[in-house]
This record gives sequence, C-alpha cells and structure tokens, in this order.
Amino acid sequence: MTTLDDRPLTESTTPRPRRYTKGQAFVKWITSTDHKTIGYMYLITSFAFFGIAGLMALVIRAELAQPGLQFVSNEQYNQLFTMHGTIMLFLFATPLFVGFGNVIMPLQIGAPDVAFPRLNMLGFWLFLFGGLIVLMGFFTPGGAAAFGWFAYTPLSTAAYSPGVGGDLWIMGLTLSGLATILGSVNFITTLLTMRAPGMTMFRTSIFTWTIFITSVLVLIAFPILAAALMGLFLDRNFGTLIFDPAHGGAILWQHLFWFFGHPEVYIIALPFFGIASEILPVFSRKPVFGYKGLVYATMAIAALSVAVWAHHMYVTGAVSLSFFALTTMLIAVPTGVKFFNWIGTMWRGSISFETPMLWTLGFLTTFLFGGLTGVMLAAPAIDFHVSDSYFVVAHFHYTVFGTVVFMMFAGFYFWWPKMTGRMLDEKLGKLHFWLLFIGFHTTFLVQHWLGAEGMPRRYSDYLASDGFTTLNVISSVGAAILGLSTLPWLYNVYRTWRFAPKVTTDDPWGWGMSLEWATSCPPPRYNFVQIPRIRSERPAFDLHHPEYGDDPNTNPNLAGKSH
Amino acid sequence: MKSGGMLYMLGALFYFAVSAIYFVWTGEVVGTTGLLLTGFLALLTGFYVLFTVRRLGEGPEDLEDAEIADADPDYGFYSPSSWWPLPVAFSAAVISVGLIFAVWLVLLGVIALFISLGGWMLEYYRGPRLPEA
Repeated sequence: MTTLDDRPLTESTTPRPRRYTKGQAFVKWITSTDHKTIGYMYLITSFAFFGIAGLMALVIRAELAQPGLQFVSNEQYNQLFTMHGTIMLFLFATPLFVGFGNVIMPLQIGAPDVAFPRLNMLGFWLFLFGGLIVLMGFFTPGGAAAFGWFAYTPLSTAAYSPGVGGDLWIMGLTLSGLATILGSVNFITTLLTMRAPGMTMFRTSIFTWTIFITSVLVLIAFPILAAALMGLFLDRNFGTLIFDPAHGGAILWQHLFWFFGHPEVYIIALPFFGIASEILPVFSRKPVFGYKGLVYATMAIAALSVAVWAHHMYVTGAVSLSFFALTTMLIAVPTGVKFFNWIGTMWRGSISFETPMLWTLGFLTTFLFGGLTGVMLAAPAIDFHVSDSYFVVAHFHYTVFGTVVFMMFAGFYFWWPKMTGRMLDEKLGKLHFWLLFIGFHTTFLVQHWLGAEGMPRRYSDYLASDGFTTLNVISSVGAAILGLSTLPWLYNVYRTWRFAPKVTTDDPWGWGMSLEWATSCPPPRYNFVQIPRIRSERPAFDLHHPEYGDDPNTNPNLAGKSH
Repeated sequence: MKSGGMLYMLGALFYFAVSAIYFVWTGEVVGTTGLLLTGFLALLTGFYVLFTVRRLGEGPEDLEDAEIADADPDYGFYSPSSWWPLPVAFSAAVISVGLIFAVWLVLLGVIALFISLGGWMLEYYRGPRLPEA
C-alpha cells in the first residue's frame, strides 16, 4: 500500500463520473443494480412517505388543537391516524433502514456491491408498489384503512371495517414486507460472504453490525406479519374464521401482530443506534468506547426483543404480567450499556459540534426520555392506568422519532458528502436542528401530562370541560414548528445541490473511521479503486492517520516497542 | 463465516431456553410456538452456514492478517444493470390488487409474472453484457 501512502490525502481516488441526459439518467436509475443508487431510491422514497405521513400528523394536530370537530370527520380522523402510523412504521422507518444499509454497509465492508443486485432492485420496486397500494385506499369510496396501525381483530374484519381500503392496506403491507425480507436476506448474505480480506466480523463497524443483527430480526419478525396479514385477508374475503373471536382469534391476532410488532420497533431502532455509534467517534476524535460491548449489547437487545411482545397486551388480561414485565425491564440493561458506551466515547474526547454531532446529541437526550418512560410502562401497575392514553403516544414518539428521525438527519448530514459529493450547509443545518428539536419537545413532552390526566389516544375530539385544551394547544403549536423545520432542510438540499462546492477529499470530516471514508465522494461503480489494508475496525482512520495507528513504523508513540 | 454461523447457533440456544422458560412460567401456547419456531429458524440458518464453512473453508475475510491481494481474483459476476426487477415487482403488485378487485387481473398478473421471471432467469443465458465504462 505504498502507492496510497505516497500521495497527498487531499486528492480523490477516482475521476468524476460522466454526465447523462435526463432521460439517460432516469433509465439508468430505474434499471440500476448498483446498491448505492438503489439505496438513494430507498432513501428518497421513504423520505417522501415521511413527508406524506407528516402532513397527516399536522392535520391531526390541527384537529386536536381545540375541542369540537373543525377540519375532519370522525371517519377521516380514524383514517388519518391509521395511515400516519402505518406509513411511518412500514413505509418510512423500515425502508429507511434498508436505504441506509444499502448505501453504507457494502462500502464499510469493502464489497463492490451486495450479493444479489437484482433482488435488491426487486425489493425496492415491491416496497414502492406496496406503499402506493396502501395509499390507494384514500381514493376508494370507503376511504383508507381506519382500524389503527395494528389492525386488531375483530375491528379489522369485514363486518366492522367493510370496504376495500382495509384490503389494500393488507396487500400493500404484504408486498412491502416482502421487500424488507428480500433486503435482509441480501444484507446477511453480503455480510457473511463479501467482506474484504482482513475485515473479520469483529472488525466491521458498529453500523454494519446493527445492519446484520437487524436483518436477522427482520427474518424472524416479518414472515409472521405476512402470515397474519394473509390470514386476515382470507377472513375478510373468503369467509375463513382464523381470527374469529369465538375461538380466541382476537387474542391470536394480538399475539401474532406483536410477535412481529415488538421486534419491528427494534428493527427501526437498531440501525439508527448504529449511525450514532458511527458519528460519535468521528466528532469526539476517539475510537468508539467498548466496541465489543456495543456489539454484544446490540445482540442482547435483538434477542430479548423477541421475548417481550405481550407487554403490548397487558390490559387484555390474557398474558403473563410477571414474565413480560421482567423481560421488558431486562432490555433496559443492554440499552443502558449502549448509552454508557456512547457517553464513554465522548468522555474526554475533543468534541466539535458539527450538524451530525448535534443531531446525535439530540437523539441521545430524546431517546433517553423515551427509554425511561418505556421502563415505566413495562410495569403493569403503571401500564394499566395509562394504556391507550397520550402517555403511550408520547412514549413511542420519543423513542421512535428520537431514534429514526434524529438519526436519519444525522446520517444525512454525515454521509451527504459521501452520497452526493457535496457538503450540506452547516448554518442551515443548525437552524433545522434547533427548530426540529424545540418543535418536537413542545409537541410531545406535554402529551405525557395529557395521558396521565386521562386523555385517550385515537379520539378525534374532547370536551372543553375535560381540561385538555391548554396542553393540546401547546402540542399543536409545537407540531407547527416541527413542520416548519422541514423548510430549512429542503432549502438546504436545494442550495447544496445548486451552489455547494464539490468535495475533493475522500474524508471531508477529517477523522472518518470506517472504510467508506477511504473511497471517493461519491464512490465509483463497484465502490473502490483501491482498498487499504484492514487491520482494525478503523481502516480509513489507519490509512489517513498512520501516526495514531498500531504500526510502530508510523506511530511515533509506539516506536521502539514491539507489538 | 464461522463466527456468523456460531452467532446463529447462540440465538437458537437462547430461543430454545426462552421457549422452555416461557412455557413452564405461563403455559401459553401461541408464544411458546413462536419462540420455539424462532429457535428452529436460527438453528436452520446456523447449521447451513456452519455446514457451508466446513466444505468451503474460511476465506481471507475471516483471517486477521489477510492482505487485500488475497481475495479470490475471480470475484463472480454482478449484474451491471437490469430491466427485469421492475416487471416482476409490477406483476406481483397487479396480482395483489387483482385479489381485491377482479380475478381477471390476477390471471393477467400471473401470466406477466411468469414472462418476467423467465426474462429475469434467462437474462444472462447468453453470457453477460459488458458493464458500462
């Protein structure tokens, strides 16, 4: 590797790709088998779904700002919160994991592509078509599905939810679920077989680990969802009685749904924990603290997440409270280990507050709140009182928004130069962060009190005499700020696209650790012209900063010592 | 690959243990079945991976002191670009929508699916197209 060491680090390792006409570029994208292009398509599409579901949330918040019905009917309100939850979980957060995994993971392991490039593209199209089928419900006479995103039977059966909206919901989710399964098969195969020489499993980055473990979880959880959805479809259309309440079908649905549903929340959380574990070391100028601890904690969270599902079912009275309270509280231990490691990474580091770091700190604080209320909700004595209230709504927005949205933006700001070759504007990024951070906490912090005071979730209305009005106004104002925060982001993307200078180095942040920072911005087709020698979990850092590496020949601190 | 296979085996052990504990603790059958089958899923994958490693041996990606040049120079063929995933997914979407609205759509979708699957499988039957420069 003397050739790389001899050249100045400011030079990019590949020439710029050639330009295409609009038509050529379009065909190139829709026929692509390049994991990066497919990843971008995943990211763009899931962000579009995020925007759609976000607008629905704004309508919901507008409706709830005052007692009485101002904007939508009860029926429309049911459709809105159902589709908001469905889109956010299935069509935004889950494909976002596949998107980030696709773009970054093969780069981090030094692979030229994923193991099954065409299957990868098939996954994207299934996700897109599945998502559009779910949305088609709005254009049917009966409207979209309106039975809540977890579609409890018998409410979701043909008797109580007639109309094709529910059927479109089922088939669309089955298709997009299949896409997630295919994506995960692809990730696991790629990770097991296509790592670069020397890149042992315990040298892959934490993000790569989370992608691997998340994919394993997907293969556990999503087939169960598909089976449950198909059963529901048969019940609705072909007269089967799989989820007939007369013989326990209602509880069976809840078991199947949550056996999928709880791993699902970790499926959308773990990859974003991984992004945090990538960003913190870079902006703390320290290696990640407790690499193996983070890996084992991720495994422990994933393993335990399959054994906690019925904490969503405490109030049915049909599940063991003690078993699920124990396992649910146990899961706080590996999560605590992760926090410990993240703080340990920053501890006495040389921290700088570029936008990716800011978003990551926003994630740490927000998710910590969500985790704490999660432990509270794990106690059946508390859960019985606040189940299906706004306390739960606040809890899961703190966890899910805290991880997915905060770390999505962190990942965007962090990897934007790697993906597009241009750095996003830092000032606009900071404005974006603070607007979103303040907006988010204004919206959801007060919902804890609303829930504790007894405001139930999924109601379109409340009475002035309930005393919920003030807190609801605060929450809606927060939602408006949250919505507005998207504007500086979109302007930032536009401005960067039009005016930002090209990134000329492989590692614009200067302290990049994992292998994606050892190739050009954006990387060429098949990713690498040269791969540096891999001797640690920080190959790009070792390459760019040999003075801190393990080699006594280049590190003055180790000179004269044997290794 | 061996470490990956061992992770799966660890998962299998964990889920078998949890399903036993769960059954003794609660006696509830749906969850016991789910956990047990999760264990078998992990066992199946772990067995397959370990079985494959035994036959193929560990590659340079699992050796701590491997050089990049140790990679197999015959890296395999990667489709440079392909039209076929789009019609395959579209046929699947047509079948899904057809199941809701009309049988003839299902038939149309199945035919389209078989044609596009054929195209997918035979795309490189005459050898690969040259990748773009």
